Amino acid sequence: MTPALATGILITSLVLAGWALVAALRERWLNRGHLALAAVIEVAVLAQVVIALVRMAGGEKAAEPATFIGYLLTVALLLPAATVLAYMEQTRWGSVIMAVAGAVVAVLMLRLQQVW
Amino acid sequence: MTAVIDQEAPETREAATNSGPGRVLIGIYGVFALAAGARAGVQIATKFDEAPVAYALSAVAAAIYLVATVGLALGNRFGRRLAFVCCVVELLGVLTVGTLSLLDRAAFPDATVWSGYGQGYGFVPLVLPVLGLIWLRLGR
Repeated sequence: MTPALATGILITSLVLAGWALVAALRERWLNRGHLALAAVIEVAVLAQVVIALVRMAGGEKAAEPATFIGYLLTVALLLPAATVLAYMEQTRWGSVIMAVAGAVVAVLMLRLQQVW
Repeated sequence: MTAVIDQEAPETREAATNSGPGRVLIGIYGVFALAAGARAGVQIATKFDEAPVAYALSAVAAAIYLVATVGLALGNRFGRRLAFVCCVVELLGVLTVGTLSLLDRAAFPDATVWSGYGQGYGFVPLVLPVLGLIWLRLGR
């Protein structure tokens, strides 16, 4: 894990969660800004996944390897899955989906750092 | 009786559980099924001997969350019934195991999804079936 990148993802995903929640409260679906931010976070998440895998391949061991890899897979798939689900539900509830996904990404980044 | 209900609005009834807020619930259920399933898988694969009952229970719980997810996503009469049964089982499970785990900590040395009323998972296991049941009831 790279603490700076992980913390950056954590904070940014919380921003996404809050921003999407505002949209939901205003009865709006996500705008391009939300989707762009989600895309940026996903790129950072994938970078973090690659870095972690390379370091594990290089001999570094996570404290709980199996759990770590499980979280890594989940966090990588979460935002794409949420985006698909949000596109299926183009109402305020699509925004709620993105808000929940952002919060879960933040929690997962925290747990990832704990089990590394 | 069914004829009357069907005449009312078959489409809104059909769309009830798998659109709007229902999609949010489906998403959360899906993530939870994945999380609980993955954790149970890891526990069973690496240290099943330590607490076979607890880990098997986690796996069963994960399977129930998965079935509930599918039921909600289907949204038809069968799916709703499936989701209803799953939510009831989840609620009973979390209440029973939660109470047992507090009474006899030795029986659950390592946290299951339902230990301490789902404490290790931010009480999501306690809240989720209640939300599910409310949602199924509203959509009727």
